[in-house]
Amino acid sequence: MTKADSMGYCRRPHGVAAKSRRSIQTAPGLRLPVSMTTRSPEKARSFESLMQAVQAGDAQAYVRLLKDITPRLQQMVRRQRRFLAAADIDDIVQDILISLHAVRATYDPGRPFMPWLLAIARNRLADSGRRHARQNAHEVQVDELPVTFPEQEANISDTYGDPEALRRAIKTLPPGQREAVEMLKLREMSLKEAASASGTSTGALKVSVHRAMTTLRKVLTKSDGRAD
Amino acid sequence: MQTDKLIQSLAATAHPVRPLANPWARAAVWTAIALPYMALVILVVSPRADLLMKLTEARYLIEQIAAFATGIAAAMAAFASTIPGYSRRVLLLPLLPLAVWLGSLGEGCVETLIRLGPGGFSLQPDWFCLPAIVLVGAIPAVTMVIMLRRGAPLFPYLSAGFGALAAAGLGNFGLRLFHPQDASLMVLVWQFGSVFLLTAVGCCAGRVVLNWRSRIGEGIRFGQ
Repeated sequence: MTKADSMGYCRRPHGVAAKSRRSIQTAPGLRLPVSMTTRSPEKARSFESLMQAVQAGDAQAYVRLLKDITPRLQQMVRRQRRFLAAADIDDIVQDILISLHAVRATYDPGRPFMPWLLAIARNRLADSGRRHARQNAHEVQVDELPVTFPEQEANISDTYGDPEALRRAIKTLPPGQREAVEMLKLREMSLKEAASASGTSTGALKVSVHRAMTTLRKVLTKSDGRAD
Repeated sequence: MQTDKLIQSLAATAHPVRPLANPWARAAVWTAIALPYMALVILVVSPRADLLMKLTEARYLIEQIAAFATGIAAAMAAFASTIPGYSRRVLLLPLLPLAVWLGSLGEGCVETLIRLGPGGFSLQPDWFCLPAIVLVGAIPAVTMVIMLRRGAPLFPYLSAGFGALAAAGLGNFGLRLFHPQDASLMVLVWQFGSVFLLTAVGCCAGRVVLNWRSRIGEGIRFGQ
């Protein structure tokens, strides 16, 4: 795998193509790593010849090509989506690689490789942006859902022997989390009842109670350790 | 899955693939499949009795050539839109013949209005046009979908819209070879209107027929 190039980038004004044998069209405002646009002619030719070998079924050339473009794609995605975690960036890059794999027959051996790759990358990046926006609009991310079954076996709860310490810990919670714990865990109200009583959504209540439980667990485990 | 593992997995399953032909060549192939089918439909329903006479009329010829050219140009644009990195200027190609087609129909309407006045400028129902265009354009449309799905679904709505315009344009070209309706207003509303409607329907169905999920799934299914 080649080392990632330097962190300098070039911003291409809208509609201006890089000078090469064939024009490289970029999306408006798409910032590309210098390594993606100003490769030496030898290295640029190697992408084209690697891709031709890939279309002929050469697995080694395919591995070399994908390993060469992966860090560049990661840099590009990182620049475009600064707020994403490393795992999400990897997901998008893998999406791009899978899409490249699916449509590798569309590459014309007589045309440059980078515009072809960038068009796929741009498209998958836009798709991931739309997916992200849809998820944020309609979903609340919780790591751990509250238990909803009444059977004892389904309720895995940490039994805690010091009710006074628990009461003190609950009092230290922020007001929203304390209210959520009191309504859902102590008064055992349903999510709907608690939501209408507190004037918040069920999703917000779930998030609050989850955070409260995490905090209580930390606090009570620490105080256990100190007591020991 | 780690990216390195994915790379190894992709390389292990990568079989040789034949590069797609350029959009012009694919449009030529598509036309070569569409025309014999159209000829068969026209033979079955019988060409219009005055066809030879109509072929000497300038307006009829212009509109037929424009409809045909719109179909071919739209096919070319549809195929180009599924090639990553291909110049997007080619998507403007169908605009010229479409403008000629619409302009000729519009000019005919104005001429009729001037000649016959508002009284003679009437619109009657001609529900035959839409199903007839669908019939003549059916195999071209199906062929177009199959060929578009071999490309990359970069702009599904655009690609499907151009594909529908291509099939409908050829459908209208074939329709006027057996349907004796030449009044400009009637052609504009019922025939050109049907083409427009079918193009819009095709555009809306873009994501259904062209999407990455099915493209990637087909790649896995057919061992690409």
